[in-house]
Amino acid sequence: MHKIQEMQTFSITYMKAWLAGKQNSLLQKLTIFILLFGMVFGGCGTVDLKVRKNLDHPNIHPNTVAILPFTLAGPTPEGVPVHRLFRECFFNYFSYLGYVDVPLETIDYKLQAAGMKKYKEVLGFSSEKLRDILAVDAVIKGQVLETNNFTGGIHAETSIKAKIEMIDLRTGETLWETEHKQRIYSGILSPTVVEIIQDQMDNVKVHQALYKTAEMFSIGIMMKIPDPAEVWQKEIRLPEIKSIETNLKLNQKLKPNDRIYVNLTGDAGLKGSFGIGSWKSNIPLREINPGMYSGSYIVQESDEISSALIVGTLKNAQGLTGKRFYKHGMAVIEKSSLN
Amino acid sequence: MKNTQYIKILQRLVVGCMALSMSACATDLQTRVAGNLTALSKNQTVAILPVETSDPGQKEMAKMFRQGLYANLKQSEFHLLERYVIDGLLKQNKLTDPSILLNINPMQFGEILGVDAIVFSRINKVERSYFVLHSSIKLSVSVQMVDTRSGEILWRAEQTEQDFSGIGKIPTGITTALLAPIQFVTNKFNLSRMTSNMVDKLTVLVKHPNEADRENQFEKPIIAKNATHELKKIEELQQLKAEWQEAMILHEKAELSASSKNLESNKEPLVEIATKPESNSVKKNKIQAHSIVQKIKRVESEMPPLSPQKEAMIPTPIYMSQAITVKPISVIESKEAPPITRSYVGTSAKQLTSSKTQLYTVQVGAYKTKAHARKLERSLKRKGYDVFITQNGKNIYRVQVDRFASKEDAIKLAHHIQIQEKLKNFVTRFSGV
Repeated sequence: MHKIQEMQTFSITYMKAWLAGKQNSLLQKLTIFILLFGMVFGGCGTVDLKVRKNLDHPNIHPNTVAILPFTLAGPTPEGVPVHRLFRECFFNYFSYLGYVDVPLETIDYKLQAAGMKKYKEVLGFSSEKLRDILAVDAVIKGQVLETNNFTGGIHAETSIKAKIEMIDLRTGETLWETEHKQRIYSGILSPTVVEIIQDQMDNVKVHQALYKTAEMFSIGIMMKIPDPAEVWQKEIRLPEIKSIETNLKLNQKLKPNDRIYVNLTGDAGLKGSFGIGSWKSNIPLREINPGMYSGSYIVQESDEISSALIVGTLKNAQGLTGKRFYKHGMAVIEKSSLN
Repeated sequence: MKNTQYIKILQRLVVGCMALSMSACATDLQTRVAGNLTALSKNQTVAILPVETSDPGQKEMAKMFRQGLYANLKQSEFHLLERYVIDGLLKQNKLTDPSILLNINPMQFGEILGVDAIVFSRINKVERSYFVLHSSIKLSVSVQMVDTRSGEILWRAEQTEQDFSGIGKIPTGITTALLAPIQFVTNKFNLSRMTSNMVDKLTVLVKHPNEADRENQFEKPIIAKNATHELKKIEELQQLKAEWQEAMILHEKAELSASSKNLESNKEPLVEIATKPESNSVKKNKIQAHSIVQKIKRVESEMPPLSPQKEAMIPTPIYMSQAITVKPISVIESKEAPPITRSYVGTSAKQLTSSKTQLYTVQVGAYKTKAHARKLERSLKRKGYDVFITQNGKNIYRVQVDRFASKEDAIKLAHHIQIQEKLKNFVTRFSGV
């Protein structure tokens, strides 16, 4: 596969020169033609991901992961920050896997607070330092080594070459790594005239073309990254709500200044709230005793609901939420006659 | 500027080529969103459920599609629940078959997953065809997002994406004419790329609901079918309870105006059994009472059972009406008799009453209008109770449940009805139907 990629790179370099009129001999044209023929069969190589550590044992798998800012080795094509774009795209696809991924804004904020001024500085941070700053089990480092966006009369290509690795901050070991070049191209030998023109059109939109390439890179790599989803699935437990009560009476129509009381019992020490259907949510509940939550809502002049169920919510530190509906009554708020 | 000109030239060329081709790659997308979609923020969590497939061979496509939905909706205004959390919780609740998910009430998902909205999706078609000089791939999907708190459909879309390669696209040579169709239809990369493109287009409105045109918005809120059914049930139950409360007041008035003798014989204190010790007769009927509880729990549950497997585990209910054959008889007189141990099977109400045994029943309602009494009777019958209507001298229709030789048994049922059905009731002497 590497040989094919080398051939492809070689042929593109030649073709660029040919288009510039520097190479003109029939022999050279033929060489390029043969090499391009190889491209048709070469397609886009699959990601070669090397797993450095056996992750079969549940205790070994990292749970929380931070995707560090990616770095860019070369210049940005047409001013598009490929490394940022690729990191965002990678993060979006990575969220499908069974890791708890820290939002990118949170990571950047913490790194900046710790003194990081340039993205490249992050490569020099030790595992201990990163663990102190980010409080995660593992990090993903990404380096965009090479980017290309070329559109010619008969050939269009966008490529991203990058090195990505996951490092276990608990041990400092590399869990997996890959260096891959993702290409999206079309040319005289690739299928049809319509496609050639369409692909060239798309390729001229640099940002879009690079994002699409990053997307295909991400899809390819996600198929290979070890996914611990099965490991964590058994341990999932939502906060439990044992009971929910309200003061709603049967067929009662609430009026301004009426108060809806909600009492909820469940797991202790969590963040409690309730909602009135989808109309109003996150009305806070106070934990008056361990595991007993209470709160209320005063009906406002402008409120109006035809019928809505009261839903109680308990949220834990991991962001997991337990919900329970009060099914013995519905909130009906008539519009105030004053309005 | 240079790029813009270049695009324009290429666009014209494409249009020309398209006109020449027999057909072109096409997208048919019908998508609509609800105004309430804009109300979802980072405080609300959405779960993308496993994708239903119409054929086992579509599993790979289903995985790619769900992955694409995650990647795209990660850029939306709401928070997405991690995929492994969803799959883990569904597994814990034995909901591993994606084809049954759409039949479950969205509110139930709200409680199982702790989310504010859910995304159902289905792969309708993955069609690859090859005809030497022409090959094509056709993908078709349906998606629906439902608010678990209200049952409202927030987003609904149907999309068909089709692309082909071959003679229709003007091959660049004989080799290409032959090879391109093969390569197109067999290359996994094309399916990935098409799926990725498809999800990009599909999710545009959900990522930016404010940009939806009028034609892409629902005219009025639409409630999902399963949610409508459940909400209606809750409303009906509320209505019944309200009527019962009114009837209770009427009943009390009627009882007060009755003769003092009747008052003596008919009036019983309201049930208070929480602190009462279990009598021997209650113990004897424990197995039967347990069966009743099992049955009632299953039927009165306001949401459908979690899974067929779970339902299968529930023992077949014993219908009390099967155990006692109730025939309308006019037994007005009922003299005091020593209590007997209750024996259900093979002992009809007629036999019990004709042997002058004092029986007890649980009264759950009293109405002036017979239709109201019938409504409550029907509702409780559906839940498996042995319910019947009696009429007193004041033209009050009394809704009563079951007959017991043992008062303790009657009290136990009364307590059960109080808890399970939230119906106020009392134990009274059975005076015949």
